[in-house]
Amino acid sequence: MILEPILPKILAVRRLPRADAAVLAAYGADPARHVSLGLITCDQDDSTYVALDEATKHAAVDVVYARSFYAGAGHASGRLSGEILGVLAAADPDELDAGLVALRRCLEHDACFYDADGKGTVTVFPHVIASLGRYLAAQSGLAVGDPMAYLVAPPLEQGIALDAALKSANVRAVKVFPPPTETNFAAAWLTGTLDACEAAAVAFAEAVVAVAAAPHQR
Amino acid sequence: MTRMKPMARASLSRTRALIDALRTRLGAADPMPPRPAVPVIPAPPAHVFPTPARRGRYAADAARHTTALVGIGHVGTRYATDVVLQFKAELAVAHEAVAAELPAGWFEQQGYLGLHSQARDHREFLLRPDLGRRLDEDSLQRLRARGGAAPDVQIILADGLSAVACQGSGVALCTQLADACRARGWSVGAPVGARFARVWLEDEIGEVVGAKVAVIVLGERPGLGTGDGLSAYLVHAPRIGNVDGQRNMMSNIHARGTPPAQAARRLAALIGAMLAQGTSGVGLDLAGIAELDGLETGYRAPQVRERLVEVG
Repeated sequence: MILEPILPKILAVRRLPRADAAVLAAYGADPARHVSLGLITCDQDDSTYVALDEATKHAAVDVVYARSFYAGAGHASGRLSGEILGVLAAADPDELDAGLVALRRCLEHDACFYDADGKGTVTVFPHVIASLGRYLAAQSGLAVGDPMAYLVAPPLEQGIALDAALKSANVRAVKVFPPPTETNFAAAWLTGTLDACEAAAVAFAEAVVAVAAAPHQR
Repeated sequence: MTRMKPMARASLSRTRALIDALRTRLGAADPMPPRPAVPVIPAPPAHVFPTPARRGRYAADAARHTTALVGIGHVGTRYATDVVLQFKAELAVAHEAVAAELPAGWFEQQGYLGLHSQARDHREFLLRPDLGRRLDEDSLQRLRARGGAAPDVQIILADGLSAVACQGSGVALCTQLADACRARGWSVGAPVGARFARVWLEDEIGEVVGAKVAVIVLGERPGLGTGDGLSAYLVHAPRIGNVDGQRNMMSNIHARGTPPAQAARRLAALIGAMLAQGTSGVGLDLAGIAELDGLETGYRAPQVRERLVEVG
């Protein structure tokens, strides 16, 4: 069946309630403000970016580090590596715990890739963020609380689908990540009203499905 | 860490609800999508087993001396078609012989006194062997009314389990046996026929007529291809209550077994031994019977299985 959710797998979650200053600095945290670190690895990078942003909406935590690994989870350096390492920093271990709860809930119940061809060989990430958190707001240059469509697909499919998404609703491209990225997917961030973002995300997913079903257009 | 219940999943994620709706719109949400067509499965390669061109000399020799199923060969792991068909045809012959009944009044047409056991019909006869061992009241009265002549030998012809055999060579065997007995100077009782009869009926009939030796000739239980076989059971001093240890018998009296003419001579020799020794069954000394009566022994002519089915 097409468009079945492909659930992200959280590979490891560990906390440093009182991290060493050098470690804090290494991940870009501010030793003057931050005390605790939470490290998470997952096999879906874009789901985790969304989940990290979700954590900032529920607790006083900052996303100090989030990087995808080259060539994705299929070529990970270890069993627990996946394709992303995200680091949350907080001044209070309890805040860190609250942030991790929100992050987990988002990964388990919200953000995920979808199967675009029924065989799992083409996947799409047509996620709508109704209200941006502090992390992605800063990354995208939008205001906290703005809606945003976070659209990811393989390179060619993303190009076709992004065009369809932009034409389907009154949205504008905030940022486009052309291939190759670290994981060799391509991504785009669109914004507009929430309804427009949702319409754009649906159009994006539908276009990816169409390309996967007919890759050779004549 | 708290875990959310799965049931709350749909309401938690707006994106999942949207994509689910899209999937429904695309027609891909059908829980039972049409099955992909099953590819044509090629037939397995046919393995043709060659008919064996020769068979072993031992099997051929053995098969020549018996009608048993030896030396029949095989095709692959199975019997050859003609062997299977022959087997089925012979089994059908046996079934038919068991199911056959003597026509009404057949014994009287042959000049026999027709008697009847206590079995009322053929089915009861098959299911109740005990009823086939006693005469019914009417037959008993008629047998007594004819008067006991107290002969040396009383010959009884009966249908037994194969009316086909009884009709086939039964009368011939009884006639030849009676002639052989008279030739030896013994008195023979008037011929008696019994319907729905078992072997032990000879005890009652022989007792009523007062015979020294009673012989019952009846169709034997059919085997494969031998629906026409007769058996003869002999008992000295027939009395109700005699047991099988007191009887002598000869089986397979048919053209491919012991022919009726030969059987009549052998039976006469047996009767002679019984009259001379005053006993029968286990107690009867059979040593020297062949020499005394000049009966042929030993060599048996090669047998040919009767072909009921021809293949190819």
